[in-house]
Formats: sequence, C-alpha cells, structure tokens
Amino acid sequence: MSVKTFAAIDVGSFELTMKIFEFSQKGGMKEIDCVRRRLDLGTDTYFNDKISNEKMDELCRTLQEFSDRMRAYKVDGCSAYGTSAIRETKNTTIIQDQVAQRTGIRINVLSNSEQRFLGYKAVAARGETFGRIIGDKTAVVDIGGGSIQLSLFDNDTLVSTQNLRLGVLRIQEYLNRFEAKSSQAENLIEEMTMAQLGTYKKLFLKDREIRNLIVVDDYVSPCIVRENGSDAMLTAEDYRVFQRRIRSGSDTQAAMALGVSEEKVPLVFISALLVAEIAELMGAERIWAPGATLCDGIAYEYAEKNKALSGLHDFEKDIIACASNISKRYMGSKKRSETLERIATTIFDSMKKVHGLGRRERLYLRLAAILHDCGKYIGMVNIGENTFQIIMATEIIGLSHLEREIVANVARFNYSRFVYYSEQTGASRLDRDSYLIIAKLTAILRLASGLDRSHKQKLTGLKAALKDNRLVLTVDTQVDITLEKGFFRMREDFFKEVFSIEPVLKQHKEL
Amino acid sequence: MAETDFSDPKYYTNRELSWILFDHRVLNEARDKSIPLFERLKFLSITASNLDEFFMIRVASLQDMVNAKYDKTDIAGLTPTQQLKLLDPAIHQLVELQYSTYNRSLLPQLRQNGLQIIRQHEELTAEEAAYVDRYFEENVYPVLTPMAVDSSRPFPLIRNKTLNIAALVRKKNGKDELEFATVQVPGVLSRIVPLPSEGGVRKLILLEEIIERNMHKLFLNYDIVCAHPYQIMRNADLTLEEDEAADLLKEIEKQLKKRQWGEAIRLEVEADMDKRLLKILKEELRLDESYIYRIDGPLDLTVLMKVYALEGFDHLKAESYTPQPVPELPAGCNLFEELRKGDVLLHHPYQTFEPVVEFIRQAARDPKVLAIKQTLYRVSGNSPIIRALAQAAENGKQVTVLVELKARFDEENNIVWAKMLEKAGCHVIYGLVGLKTHCKITLVVRKEEDGIRRYVHLGTGNYNDATAKLYTDVGLMTCSEAIGEDATAVFNMLSGYSEPLVWNKLSLAPLWLKDKFLYLIDRERRYAEEGRPARIIAKMNSLCDRDIIAALYRASAAGVKIDLIVRGICCLKTGVKGVSETITVRSIVGNFLEHSRIFYFQNDEHYEIYCGSADWMPRNLERRVEILFPVDTPKLKERLFHILDSLLKDNVKASVLQADGAYEKAGRRGKPQFHAQEAFCREAVAQAKAAAREDGGVTRTFIPETHQEK
Repeated sequence: MSVKTFAAIDVGSFELTMKIFEFSQKGGMKEIDCVRRRLDLGTDTYFNDKISNEKMDELCRTLQEFSDRMRAYKVDGCSAYGTSAIRETKNTTIIQDQVAQRTGIRINVLSNSEQRFLGYKAVAARGETFGRIIGDKTAVVDIGGGSIQLSLFDNDTLVSTQNLRLGVLRIQEYLNRFEAKSSQAENLIEEMTMAQLGTYKKLFLKDREIRNLIVVDDYVSPCIVRENGSDAMLTAEDYRVFQRRIRSGSDTQAAMALGVSEEKVPLVFISALLVAEIAELMGAERIWAPGATLCDGIAYEYAEKNKALSGLHDFEKDIIACASNISKRYMGSKKRSETLERIATTIFDSMKKVHGLGRRERLYLRLAAILHDCGKYIGMVNIGENTFQIIMATEIIGLSHLEREIVANVARFNYSRFVYYSEQTGASRLDRDSYLIIAKLTAILRLASGLDRSHKQKLTGLKAALKDNRLVLTVDTQVDITLEKGFFRMREDFFKEVFSIEPVLKQHKEL
Repeated sequence: MAETDFSDPKYYTNRELSWILFDHRVLNEARDKSIPLFERLKFLSITASNLDEFFMIRVASLQDMVNAKYDKTDIAGLTPTQQLKLLDPAIHQLVELQYSTYNRSLLPQLRQNGLQIIRQHEELTAEEAAYVDRYFEENVYPVLTPMAVDSSRPFPLIRNKTLNIAALVRKKNGKDELEFATVQVPGVLSRIVPLPSEGGVRKLILLEEIIERNMHKLFLNYDIVCAHPYQIMRNADLTLEEDEAADLLKEIEKQLKKRQWGEAIRLEVEADMDKRLLKILKEELRLDESYIYRIDGPLDLTVLMKVYALEGFDHLKAESYTPQPVPELPAGCNLFEELRKGDVLLHHPYQTFEPVVEFIRQAARDPKVLAIKQTLYRVSGNSPIIRALAQAAENGKQVTVLVELKARFDEENNIVWAKMLEKAGCHVIYGLVGLKTHCKITLVVRKEEDGIRRYVHLGTGNYNDATAKLYTDVGLMTCSEAIGEDATAVFNMLSGYSEPLVWNKLSLAPLWLKDKFLYLIDRERRYAEEGRPARIIAKMNSLCDRDIIAALYRASAAGVKIDLIVRGICCLKTGVKGVSETITVRSIVGNFLEHSRIFYFQNDEHYEIYCGSADWMPRNLERRVEILFPVDTPKLKERLFHILDSLLKDNVKASVLQADGAYEKAGRRGKPQFHAQEAFCREAVAQAKAAAREDGGVTRTFIPETHQEK
C-alpha cells in the first residue's frame, strides 16, 4: 500500500493540536482528522517560569488521548513539537521526559527559526498554489505571539528572512500597559510598528518589488479561511474591506461576525492591522491566507524525510540561497565560495564510505563553504572567530540552533586551530556526535581550502577517488599548482587524523 | 400600515393545550370503527400512557413553577397558574372521553367478539369465584403487604404510579371506629387474569378485583366496610425538564426548600369510592379537588396493552407488516462495497433496519476497519448494536460510544449496558455537561488501499431495532468525503475538542442549526417577495419554537406556501389574516408512529431537502446536540419529496388544523381514499420484489469463458 499515515502534534502555548495526515503519490497530502484542545501552558511559562503540575497532568492526559487516536489510525509515524511555552519553561527536559514516560510521545523543542521554517513548509504543503505564487515576487509574513518573521521570495527561492519583535501578544501587552483606549489603539500600533518596519524596508526590502503577501498566523487566517476558503486570493481592496469590518462594531459583534471567541478579537484586530501595514509597505497586490498551521508543516517535513510525496519544494535551495545572501551582505567572494563549495563537495562525495555522513551534513558543509569568509568583513585577522560570531548572530531559516552552531564551527576551524571536545570552554553545549560531525566537515573543508589557496580557482576538472587508504585527487590543469600542493600538504595532517586517509594531489597534464 | 409583530402571543397556541389535542387525535383512532378492534384497544392504551408521561413531566413542571412563584409567561402569554387552570378541565374531559370510549364502545364490542372483561368481581359465577379465590390464595396472598393506619402506625408512603386498594375497616369486636387500610396491587403479577372457560366467550378479570374480593383475608380481625382501588402520581421527577429556561432552574434552586418533593399531583379513584375513604386520601395526600379523577372503569388503562397481546385474536388486529429488504443493500452484501457505489436512503419501518445493525456488525468484523463511533440515545433491551460494538472493541477497533444518560426514563437501562461496553474496551462518553446528545450518527473509519475512507449513517430515529419496526424514520448511509469529515468533527467535539474551522455539509445544534433554519425560511421569503416560486414543506414531531414560528409567519405574509406535517404539539396558528393564511398544518396519527423530520425548501429552482434529529422546539435547537443533514443525490431527493408529497395527500389518517385551533379529519373532497402509511408499505414490498426478480435474473445467466485478445 502506497498510502502512509502520519500524526503531527503541536504543543502550542495556548492549544494542543493533533492532525492526522495521509500521504499518497496520487492524492498528495490529505488531512483526515484534526483535534484541538485549549490548554494554556503559556501563562505558566511566561509568568511562573515553569509549567505547573496540574497543567502537566492535563497535558499528559490529552497527549495520551492523542496517542490512543494515533493507534486507532495505525499511523506510520508521528512527530510532536513544542513551541515557546515548552522552549522557555525552566523545566523543559523534565517535562519532555515525563511526557515521554507517561504517554510515549517525545516532544521535540523547536527553536524560533525551526518553527518559522515549519510555518513556511506548512504553506508549501498547499502544493500547487504555493508553487505558482512564489514564482512571482512574494513575501511571507508569519505572525506569532512574540515576534513576526518576514521572508522574501524571488523566482521560487527564498532570498531573505528577518525576525521583528512585533508579535501580536507583545503588542497587546504594550497596549494594556499604556491603557490605550480602543480608539487610540490603531494609531498606537501603527506608530509602534512603523518604526521597525521602516528600518526593515531600508535595510532589507530596499526597492524590491513585492506582488503577493502570504499570511501565516493563528488569528486572522482562520477568519479569512472561514469566509473564503483556504485557496482564496484576496486583492488588496478585498482585504481592506475585510479589515474595515473587524474594526466596526463592538468586540461582541466582531466575534459573532468572525466566528471567534470574544477574547481573541483584539488579537485578530492587531494581526489584521499588521498584515495591512506590511502589505502597504511592500505594495503587495494580492494577499493569501491559506490557514496553514504548524501541524501542516510538521507533516510536510515528514513527507520530505520519507519521500512520501513527489514534487516537493526544494527547501535546501532556499537555505543555500539564504546563505549566499548573507555572504553577499558581508562581501564574501562569490567565486571563491563557489569553488570552495565545489571542491569540498567533491571530496565529501568521494568519501561517503569513510565519513558515513548524509545529505543533511553535506548541506552543512556547503553552507560553511559559502559563509567561510564572512569574518573578513570585520577584519583580516581572526577571520575564523569573526565568521563564527557572524553566523551565530544571523538567523538562517531552516536550520536549528544546533545545526547553525555546527556550520559556524566548521567555518571557524577552517581558519582557527581546532578545539577538541575536551578543550571546549564557554556556553556551547554541543554533544559528542555533533562535535564529530564538526571535526569531519572541518577536515574536508580545510583540505578544500588548501586546494584553492591562491583564490584563483586554478583547479578546474577536479576528480576524487578513494583507493585503499589514499584519497587521490586529480586536477586537470596546465597551470602551476606548486602553491596549492604546498598548502595541501600543510593541511593534510588534520584530514589524516580524522579519517586515517592520506590525501594525494595529482596533476593530470594533457600535453 | 403598522408592521405586524409576528411574535405577539396572540398568534400562538399554548403547547400543553396543543398536546391535549394530540392525545385526542390518538383517542380518535381508538374511536374509529374502521380500525380493527384490538388496534383500538392499543390506541386507547397509548392515550393513557401518554397522559401519564404528560403529568409526570409537564404538569409536574408547571406545578414546580407555581411553587417557585415563577410567573414568566409562555409563548401564548399565559402564566403557569393560568396554564394549570386551563389544563384542568381539558384533562378531565379527555379522561371522560377515554372511559366512555372504553365502556360504551370497546367493552361491548369485545364481548361481541368473544372476550369479556369482568368489571366487578360481583359479576363472577360461583365457579369462577371459587377459581379466583384459589388463585388469590396460591399466587397473590404471599406477595401482598397490607398496611393499616392507626394512632401508632402513620399513613404509609404510597409509591408513585402504583395501583393500590384502599379500605375502611372496623375491628370485629370493637365499636364503630373506622380505620384506614391500604394494600398495593403487586406489580410482579400480571394484572389480567384469564378465567377458565369452555369454548365460547373468553373471560378476564383484573387482579385488583380479585384482591378486593379477598380483602377480608388480609385483615382477619376486621370487618371490611368498603374497598376501592386508587392510584396516585407524584411530582417525583428529580431532574428538571430541559424544556424549561435556565432562569427557572436558578429560581428553583433558590426556592429549593419550598419545593415539595414527591408531592402528589393526581389521584385516580374508582368513581363510586366511599366518600369517607376519599376524604381520608384527599387529606393525607393534601390534594385539591381538581387533582382528583373519578374513574368509571379500571384505573390505568395501559393494562389494555396486555389485553392486546392476548393470543387468539389475530383476526381483530391489523395485519402485521414485515419491514422489507432494501434493494440497494441486499442481505449478505458487503455494505462498504455497496455504499461506494452511491448513497443509500433507508425508510423505516417500511424498509428494514437490518442494514444499520449489519453496518456495525460488518464494521466490527472487517479487518480494515480502524474505528467505530456512535451516539446512542435509547436502545432496545437486548440490542444487537450493543453486542456488535462490544465485539468490535474486543476485535481491537477503536470504539467510541456516546451514551446519553439523560434520555428520559431510560437512565437505569442505559447505565447497565454502558458499563458493559466499557468492560469490552469501548471508550464510553456519558453525555455532555448541560446538553442532551440527541443526534443519531454512526461513523466507521476504514483504511482502504487508497487511504482512509469514512462511512457514515445519519438518521432521524434512535439506534433501536425494536422501535425501528414501529416508528417512521429515514436514514442516510454514505461514504461522501464531505460528510465523513464533518462526522469526524462531530465526534471530536463530542469528545471535548474544539470546533473545526469549517463544516462541509452538516448543521449542528446548539451551534447554529437554528440560524440555519431561520436562514432557509427567510430565503424563501425573499424569493416570494421577488415574485419567484417559494415553498416550504416541513415534517416533524413538534413545533413550538417562537423564533421559527415567527419566521414562518413572516414568510407566509410574504406569500410563501408552507405545508407543515406536525404529529404532536403545534404552537402555530393557521388561517390568521396577514400572518398565516398560506400555512397548513396536518397531523398524521397512524399505526406507525410518525417520527421522521424532513425539511423541504424550494429555493427557487434548486430545491433542497434536509433530514435530521431535531424538531422545531427550543429544547432541540438550543439545549441538545442535533444534526441536520442535506440529501444531495437527485434520486434520493426525489424519494424524500415523494414521502412528503404522499403524507400531504393522505386523507385517511391525517387531521388538519383549523383556524379555530381544532383538528379535523382531512376531507376527501371527492378524491379517492389515500392512506400514506399503507401506500409506503405497498411501495416497499413492490420495490423489494422487483429487486429480487432482477437479482434472480442475474444468477440465471451463464457467463461463457471466451478467449480474449490482448
């Protein structure tokens, strides 16, 4: 049977959701069940730092029900993700462990960038419409409680993504603090947001043209979906009409009209206003709120990992494009990066049997190669450390915090002395496995940089082959590669140490 | 011209009075000479059990309101006190008519047909008397508990709805001081006792007569001055009627102390009861004169159901009807396969309920089935559905059952089998807080080659194989994806999860079913105003929701033609100028209990038909979980329209509501007689036969194997 069933669980700050999905080549991704239960974990976490026992019990009870339901559907797989309430509580690991012991469900904690990435995958899960729309100039705004994420697409590819601390709950909190009257609310919100959005425009948007705006949120999207369906594309004018409706009348009337609970109306109002401002700022002509939720993204991720669907969007391309843009921002050399990336991946690919790493690690290597020289933007000495700091301070959508740290370290050790696991100091909490990945990728990247020491991209037509204990690299070039050979030998020690393989550089001269 | 206020109480009938009219219509069946004699007995018995329920629920509730000094007016502008005042003569009149029917019409005819019910033990022959005395000593005496009242023994608690015999007794050697004594007629013994007879007329005597005759054996040291049967009904309903407003509940909670628990609200006595005896009862039970019913005949006519069950009188009963097989779902078929071919509409009891039971049975066995979910309101005693559900759980399916414990009078029964289901491993939900779950829905989730497929049964009647032979209901079986998704959402909500963002097809009470109906009614009004065709046909059990009725009035005033088929209570008035001139109301009371709810809206040229579990009553629309489902398949829509159309044509069992508030039998006006329920029976038989022929045709064909070129 080519049909796969999967359960996606979102342990959100205010609600627990489980969706059951079915994947088939023919029918694509199909939601077949969705259960949601209100559970306010957020208040516990944000105000008491910890999730209380009562909430914990309720969490386990509901997850147990979810687990029973998964069994009933005989699911082939399941993932559970926790967002800020789980991430920010002091007892995260205790909670994770207790839940796993009591319900058999392992809650993974999402970092902001991972969560955003899933939100973006959720939109991609809408398949065709998504593919069609991002071919054009498109922005995605993902509105959360604490912050919003703005991502820009061009030509099918993500080109930039930025986090702005303009979350709905945060704004609501400010309004409460200022004791703003509802008549003032709109102006206040506008003032608060325009400052940040203006900077954003200057630095990132520049004069980029945006046609479509995709909205991901839990506030205004459900209302739009309820009224128009999840495929409806609103014109800017349609949207203004919709927004005006929310504004007019009391909260009670708005709640009735929108089909949401009254307490949610102010949040819908803020979210709707944010969308309107961003749409105006960007000059977007069409607005699409597909009502995508985290669960959709989780399911999409599962489909990717298990090849349960065909025609998936290439997110790796997005991540690479994103990294290239960062490199460009810090004036990295595009040519040099490309050469380095090519050499490094050639070595990586020829050594699969030895390093035992997979596709994801290959991506880290590529990213490290692309970003390896960002640090030069700050100064020509200490490049490694500077590069490390830049990467750690820049959000790369689609990479978890841990993954980012791996990439940053590989880039760092390309220049600096390798710091062994036992020598580690500072705040990093990398585990041994991740550290080993860093070591392996560093070894490869170092060797690759050695081969392009002159930065003149001399080594065209590089071939790599593993023969017994030797990695034979053959270059097909007429030019003098004495310099490269020299650096190559200087850099092979670490490579030998990590892989017990001796790299040999050969020049194939066609006379 | 001032705008008409369509919710003005003057346009509405009080629901209790309308109910009395309904019981009269049932009584009319008992009086109808064209109906087989034993069927008439049955109808008379039904009027009695109806009235009992009416007392226990409605009169008790009004009494509560009066005690709580709750004087909000009803839909027709009447306070509870005013309502009770109007009800009193109406009920007395109904009871009188019950007994005159029994005494003047049914008893003599039974006699003519060879069955004599002995009215008083004094009528027994010496031989018969000796027989009943022996019967008394052997069977009755051991289970009796006589109770006397004197200074040391207080007046005993007379249990609700039990039949008793009261007596005045005097000590044999004492002076003339009279004492009160009472004995309960035991419920464990059959109330009808056949007497030995040699051919010819069969004779019956009622148990209380035998006891009355032998009273002296219970009070050996006393002389029996007089002895008469009596029965009381108490306001002992511990739960408040859901029909009543929430503010009443609060009021009563406040006044809890004032509420007299178990206070008597009706006393029925033999018409010629000794005045002294009656006085004692009246005083001890603290009853007003209006609560006393002097009965000329046997108390509690529900006993006639037992008479109906006597063997050997089949020629005096209606020909029994066997529910017919459903052509689309022949016996032994794989239901899931058949349903994939298309939706199936079931019309009970004309068509058998078996496919619904079989649906659960097959689901329980089918290895591909993952889950079965069902709502159960009232089920039969030895329910095959419960057995199949338990079996499914034992087979490892996820079985979720919502058992409504608040189903009136059925609580105990429900608890027993709910426990049993739990033991078998089913997930049992015992109703929802504050809401009665009245919808009838079953969902079977099956994992098929191409993924999950959901099969759904939606009905207007309970999952009760016994009543499905007597109640007219419709059911839809489908594997439509849209309905399947909604069904999953319904059960998710019943399990306590949040409402989904969007519903595809189903409308749910108490969420927005009422709004949906109001919208549908108003849409017809708009069409009528635009001069387009507009019509509503609605069939239900009761109609008493003010908002709905007001919307119907508004639609009628705009010219919408509205035909209502309402079996029971109807608070709407017909023929009011400028308000309801285009509305007709008819009630069908026949051999089968009309129970289906079907709603037709012309919707310009694209008529829509819905079925559901809800009546147009506030309790259905606001305090119950109900489902309304559309039927979309053109063929099935036609069938439903045919059902409504036939019922509108009925001129045998239909009564039409007149402008003066009375019901009159539908006139024939020269048209041939048309009995809708009988017509449905004939149609079902013909369809089943045709299907059987077709089937036979297929199996008689040989299929030669031929060489096939690739």
